[in-house]
Amino acid sequence: MRERSYGAGFAQVLGALVLAFLVLPIFAVVPASFNRSSFIKIPPQALSTRWYEAFFSDPAWLAAILTSTKVALLATFISLVIGTLAALGLERVEARTKGLLTGLMLAPLIVPVIMTSIALYYVMLDIGLHGSVLGLALGHTLLCMPFVVLNVGISLARLDPSLPRAAAGLGAEPLYIFRTVTLPAIRPGLAAGGAFAFITSFDEVVISIFLSGVSAKTLPIQLWEQIRIEFTPVAAAASTVILIATVLLFLLVQFIRSRGAT
Amino acid sequence: MTTAETSREQKIAYPIHRAGRVFATKLASREAIVTCLLLLPAVLFLTGGFVFPLIKLFTLSLESEGGTLSAYREIIGSEVFRAVFVQTLILAVTVTVISVLLAYPAAYLLSRLKDGWLTLAIYCVLVPFWISVLVRTFSWMLLLERNGPVNSTLMWLGVTDQPLKLLFNDLAVHLGMIHVLLPYAVLPIYASLLKLDPRLLQASNGLGASGLQTFLRVTLPLTAAGVAAGATFVFLLSLGFYITPMLLGGFHNLTVAMLIDNFVNERLVWPLAAAASFILLFIILVILAVAARFLSIGQMLVTR
Amino acid sequence: MRDSAQGNPIFFNEVSKSFDTVQALLPTSLKVGPGEFLTLLGPSGSGKTTLLNIAAGYVSPDRGRVLLGNRDVTHLPPRHRNIGMVFQNYALFPHLNVFDNIAYGLKVRRIPEAEIRTRVRAVLAMVQLEGFEERRIQQLSGGQQQRVALARAMVIRPDLLLMDEPLSALDRQLRKHVQLEIRRIHNEHRRTTIYVTHDQEEALVMSDRIAVMSQGRIEQVGTPTELYREPKNVFVARFLGESNLLPVEIAERSGREISYRVEGESRIWSMQAHDGMPMRNDRALLLVRPEDLTPAPENEPGIEAGVEEAVYLGELTALKLELATGHSVWMRQMGLPPVREGEKMRIRWHPQNVRLLKDTGRAA
Repeated sequence: MRERSYGAGFAQVLGALVLAFLVLPIFAVVPASFNRSSFIKIPPQALSTRWYEAFFSDPAWLAAILTSTKVALLATFISLVIGTLAALGLERVEARTKGLLTGLMLAPLIVPVIMTSIALYYVMLDIGLHGSVLGLALGHTLLCMPFVVLNVGISLARLDPSLPRAAAGLGAEPLYIFRTVTLPAIRPGLAAGGAFAFITSFDEVVISIFLSGVSAKTLPIQLWEQIRIEFTPVAAAASTVILIATVLLFLLVQFIRSRGAT
Repeated sequence: MTTAETSREQKIAYPIHRAGRVFATKLASREAIVTCLLLLPAVLFLTGGFVFPLIKLFTLSLESEGGTLSAYREIIGSEVFRAVFVQTLILAVTVTVISVLLAYPAAYLLSRLKDGWLTLAIYCVLVPFWISVLVRTFSWMLLLERNGPVNSTLMWLGVTDQPLKLLFNDLAVHLGMIHVLLPYAVLPIYASLLKLDPRLLQASNGLGASGLQTFLRVTLPLTAAGVAAGATFVFLLSLGFYITPMLLGGFHNLTVAMLIDNFVNERLVWPLAAAASFILLFIILVILAVAARFLSIGQMLVTR
Repeated sequence: MRDSAQGNPIFFNEVSKSFDTVQALLPTSLKVGPGEFLTLLGPSGSGKTTLLNIAAGYVSPDRGRVLLGNRDVTHLPPRHRNIGMVFQNYALFPHLNVFDNIAYGLKVRRIPEAEIRTRVRAVLAMVQLEGFEERRIQQLSGGQQQRVALARAMVIRPDLLLMDEPLSALDRQLRKHVQLEIRRIHNEHRRTTIYVTHDQEEALVMSDRIAVMSQGRIEQVGTPTELYREPKNVFVARFLGESNLLPVEIAERSGREISYRVEGESRIWSMQAHDGMPMRNDRALLLVRPEDLTPAPENEPGIEAGVEEAVYLGELTALKLELATGHSVWMRQMGLPPVREGEKMRIRWHPQNVRLLKDTGRAA
């Protein structure tokens, strides 16, 4: 019998309020972006899409989108390749080594990003990677790769170890086994890890602040400067574009995951 | 069978046995090489792109003009810098406590929901992970502005006559950081609630315990690990926070991360920046070592 | 041994329950007397666990009432019922040691510390786990955990003790031992007990009465002997013990005397009428337990049968016999087989030891 409990009911109402607190404020940028006046204001006095026109016609914003896309694609690619290989390797070592190596892979998420950023800044100035797409991508990969390792690792852990053995017993070569048994099994992990790696790089601010320079401004850096210096509604329009793109990517990944689960 | 026969049999068996062993060793060493090759790119990348820069940063922290440890001495000795560390720790503690208190009911609600409602509620926790911290912080700037919706609501309600100063202060920093870090507390608590066997709650009820007694005596102790994991993660992340306090805080809302940035970009004193970084890392590692018995960080990160 | 009953009677009055579209329990009435040990026996999905959970209060019936003693507890939550429940997997609190697990129900009742100590010690002695107070649950074997669960349920002096397949996680050897233990404790304390199991042997060993359930209803309630010797229908006959069911034709019924003919045989047998017997034109089945079949002495009536299999089981022999009609029956004989496989023999049964049941065509 489900007993009616006021305490439990109160906790659930409070929980619902917390969930609302988590989600609703995020969308405050949306109404602000459609305001006609040059001041940011919620709710908007009169609706207009002029700030979106301004956003999509400004070469600085477009260049930033292009840079961010290049950096994110490169960082995702490197993360997927290195991270997947590492996840496969981690499955094959003993528990102690696995713990140590996993610690190394996750360390960039534990060390404060500001610290990693200034260390990278210092080193990359010397070797000329500062202010380049490659430099940014390598820096971002530190933060993106752990998610690939973890997601692929989970898919691998779910894979019945007798399947590759059965394939080997049937005379299949290791590479063939990987292509026909392992790869299909880790596909949802690759999709989820890759997508999260992409969005992590695309949204990254702190490393980018130190590594962008003037030549390779990413979208978040352009936004960061706008918010700090000018504070115009174009920033709200840019934020809304990022927001919608991110939510769509999130839903796509959830869709792929739910299909992978069945 | 005589002894001679036995030994002859052994002699015959031995080479076959040895051949098998050699073959197995070869196979094992080939396996080991493959394993190394799989792990090598990641290890090389992290060594070159992460460990090496940190080592360079460490040597930098020792290259102060006043002697090897003078940068550390300067930071620890300075009242101003010490105050920034203390302030950052206090901020982290407050944010952690409030986050856990808010996360528990949210996780509890998640554990009671089913099907469509559950999906919706989980998305409420997961979507913020994906949205740029910058965009989320920017949203708070718009909400807390002088003429923003929070102020106009407060005035409409008659709480205040004129707009309150809600931005660039402690309140805004706390709100923004809790908002960003809360999901990190919700997920491990939710995971621990899911692991809780509902029959234990039934058993407690059957033995005469009220809802509150069951919560305090069964639910809470059995989800303590989830709470500890969530709290540790929120605490560690808030120690290194940069963007949110930078945008939402005032001049006095200085965190260690902002101090490091200031050393590098304004005052150009790299040894001090490096030393401050390593002091912060030391604090983080100590906390992590204490918490390590409770949590598996890898497990917490993948729930998204 | 104390003989006085320490527990309340419980009445189920036309209780029923559906989950979504599944009727888990059809309207059911049952009384369990004070101090009685009643077992709900049935296959999974028969409604026995639903009925137990209604008694505990974990499930609220859609209709009907539940009376515990004089109290109407139909919609009372479990914590106000004063029941002791032993769960299938024990549901012991993993973060508490043995003492704190057992003391749990006493602590929430705010019983003084000193009394808690004496009562926990007494109940630990009852389940023969003295000195285990400080052990962690994870350090206990399955059988020990089972006994802690029983102690935790008993220590609150429940009006009603409920056990949901409490022995299903134990191995066969241990199960037999614990069955007798539970029986002993019940004989000493005489708490009203409802026990759920799907194991017929367990039910026969432990119970004062058994309620056989199937498809959401009680098929028959009675003592183990009643159920075994006088099953009311084919389901009960098949579910308890081994049974041979032979199709028969009822030839005549006059007063207390009834005569019938086994299909495919010419001889007419007769027996005393009993309750629930089929009417003359009903299809009927003759229930003969394997131990009630005997070789027919020469010159006495019997049925021809061929020996298909003879399995020597030590103290007895099981014979699989094929009748002229093609039906197979099992027969049990003490000692060595009297015949060999492939041989023919004649068998018979004592008219007092058989039952005539309606052939409802329902499978067991």
